[in-house]
Amino acid sequence: MTKLRYILITLFALVIGISLHSEEVEFRAQAPSQVVVGKPFQLTYSINQRAKDLQAPEFTDFDYLAGPYTSQSSSTSFVNGKRTSSFQLTYTYTLMATKEGSFTIQPAKISVGSDRYTSNGVRITVLPADNPQQPSSVAGQQATSNTQTASTASSTSSENIFVRTIVSKTKVHEQEAILLSYKLYFAGVDVAQLTNNTKLPEYTGFLKQDIEQGEIQTELEHYNGRNYQTATLYRTLLYPQHSGDIVIDPATFEAVLRVQTRAQVRSIFDDFFGSYTNVTKALKAPGVTIHVQSLPSGKPAGFSGGVGRFTMASAISGTELKTNEAVTIKIDIQGTGNMKLLKTPTVDWPEGFEAYDPKVNNNFKTTTNGVSGKKEIEYLAIPRASGDYVIPAIAYSYFDTQDNQYKTLRTPEYTLHVIKGSGDSDATQAVVQNFVNKEDVQQFGSDIRYIHTNTDKTRTKAESGLVFGSLTYWMCYLIPLLLAIVLLIVFHKKIRENADLTRVRYKKANKVAQKRLKQAKKLLSEGNKTAFYEEIERAAVSYLSDRLSIPTADLSKDKIAEILRSKNISEELIQQATEVVSTAEFARYAPSADSQMQTLYDMTTELINQLENQNL
Amino acid sequence: MKLLLVILVTLLSEANQLYSDGSYAEAAKAYEEIIAEQPNSEAYYNLGNAYFKQDELAQAILAYERCLRLDPRNKDAKYNLAFAQSRIIDNVEDNQAFFIKSWLQAIRNTLREKTWMNISIITFLLVLIGFLLFALSKEQWLRKTAFYVALVSLIISISSCANAGSLHRRDNLRQEAIITQGIVNVKASPDRSGTELFTLHEGTKVTIHETLGDWCNIHVGNNVGWMKISSLERI
Repeated sequence: MTKLRYILITLFALVIGISLHSEEVEFRAQAPSQVVVGKPFQLTYSINQRAKDLQAPEFTDFDYLAGPYTSQSSSTSFVNGKRTSSFQLTYTYTLMATKEGSFTIQPAKISVGSDRYTSNGVRITVLPADNPQQPSSVAGQQATSNTQTASTASSTSSENIFVRTIVSKTKVHEQEAILLSYKLYFAGVDVAQLTNNTKLPEYTGFLKQDIEQGEIQTELEHYNGRNYQTATLYRTLLYPQHSGDIVIDPATFEAVLRVQTRAQVRSIFDDFFGSYTNVTKALKAPGVTIHVQSLPSGKPAGFSGGVGRFTMASAISGTELKTNEAVTIKIDIQGTGNMKLLKTPTVDWPEGFEAYDPKVNNNFKTTTNGVSGKKEIEYLAIPRASGDYVIPAIAYSYFDTQDNQYKTLRTPEYTLHVIKGSGDSDATQAVVQNFVNKEDVQQFGSDIRYIHTNTDKTRTKAESGLVFGSLTYWMCYLIPLLLAIVLLIVFHKKIRENADLTRVRYKKANKVAQKRLKQAKKLLSEGNKTAFYEEIERAAVSYLSDRLSIPTADLSKDKIAEILRSKNISEELIQQATEVVSTAEFARYAPSADSQMQTLYDMTTELINQLENQNL
Repeated sequence: MKLLLVILVTLLSEANQLYSDGSYAEAAKAYEEIIAEQPNSEAYYNLGNAYFKQDELAQAILAYERCLRLDPRNKDAKYNLAFAQSRIIDNVEDNQAFFIKSWLQAIRNTLREKTWMNISIITFLLVLIGFLLFALSKEQWLRKTAFYVALVSLIISISSCANAGSLHRRDNLRQEAIITQGIVNVKASPDRSGTELFTLHEGTKVTIHETLGDWCNIHVGNNVGWMKISSLERI
């Protein structure tokens, strides 16, 4: 029993659930956004569910004329086996505005089942009634004469239909966006259609950015004391490209109007069906002059060309990197202004980074305030060498049109730490790399060398000490010179002794010996025996002494023989030498016969000649 | 003297701080004060840098030249001087100077006057010692070596003495000067109405040969003319 009840409740809940949740409740209030004083208008509340107990707000600012009239419609359709049903319940009130201004109709409340729903509030602008002085459309039509032409002329007069040129500003800075719109105003005429025969001016001096618009919608607007139906025909953003007064030439539009003809043959049907003709009317929108101010002087260095209002954000993919791993910096420039003309900022990648061209992604939307949106720039670089790098801050300047001054946006400075990637040389490990890409030290800029902060090497002007050309200076030369001279005088004896006598003697030996021999010959002829022997001995001994560089005192026969032998002199000659010396020595004390003297003389001469030839 | 040096070092580091902060004008003023107190090479060098950073080329060149007078082998000063000179407008080529003369001048400028004097005296002593050794020694090799040493020393001594004298002349006469005025018209005669011969620009080095009132006769390259003393500054 309980089980059955449970199943039934579940089924019931399901059915209700389906019906309840088939669609979400939508309760909306609708009314024209502009109304004219003294003219009734309709306010409708619509709901897509069966509802009851509509509780309308109090219409304090409007006169309540009639309502609510209830109407309902429902439809069901099967599409591909799916059932779709819609239901609409509408309550209509007729109200009338009594005073001009802007008013809000408070939300209404309604019950759906046990729930209560609230509608949206409605904002209504009440326009003043047509100025009676102005020829109203009704009056114009009533005053039509019998002729068709007259009626056409009056109903299509430029008071009834015209196009206005509306610019958001007439005084702007260079590159500051202005919104230009052409708005059609008509009252009391029936506009059948707008032809494509539109002539827009060239807009010389401006960069043009059209604003897309959907279907032309008409709005009620009070202009020059009269209420007109208005429609925006064309809207565009203009960016002045140079300063000065720039004239925008008039534009021409063409509209086809439906004009009721009053035919000459009048029948009773005329008033019922009427007869209409289409009249083409050219509509001229007047030109305007825009006063363009140039941007103030003092453009910052990193001026981007941007005019408007921007913000910049930047992000880096990482600051701890490995070599050959890519790093990206993303810069987002967001704002409103001449986004399309913004220069892409440049990132100063340090040496050792392989930088690629930045990827720019523009996401712009043209609004009536200018182009707004986001410029995303992605910079990619690959570090090729390890080390610590600093990517300097990027300065991006623009002209702020609201504050009328240049502003500079800055990204933070990034410090990158790049370590050697592990996979750096894995692939090439098998092959022994015996070449390295040597790089010369690259000089990018030149500047003076930095100041010296280490003051140890300071050299000051020498104030004291020697002065060139002073007496003291010359004394520095003179005193040692004098000292040297004194020394030379003191040691002159030793100097003379030291002078190279041996050498001189050696060279002069033969000469001296010949001289002595000559003397000996003279003594021989004179018969002076003692003197002769003396001379001969001296000649022989001194010659040997000089030639062999042995002091005379040390000269003995043995010594002479020894030295001569060491000089590879023949034994014969040695014999001769010792004989000459000993004979002369002996004869000095025991003089012998003359013939002996002659032999000794000859022997000595021969010895000296032979020794001379030996070249000792 | 010792105390003065300590004060000098602290003043220098204060001025260097100003320089590294980028306030070059203040730094230059501080260096000038130090130089007024005690002229020294480092202050001149840093002063030159401070002037260079302010784009006052003539003053920078003047300071570097003065630095090199005190410390002829200061490589950085030489580099910066060359750098500053590469920026001046006038390109003066001295065609007159015979290449040996310029070599000799370059050699002369490598050392200070004082150093040349010392070298000359020391080598002169070497000459005397060598000669005495030659005279008094018995050893053949010693006599020979002493003789040649004495001969070479004598040549060095005489040339060093000449260099010292030349530097002494240069520094005392202060003939070399740098043009400090942006542009100077050099005239044919020392008066205002003199014919204009040529123009010189800031930073060019000229040699003053004669002064007459407030005019001076300058030589630059192969050109000779008269200009106001006030438009140049002696090194």
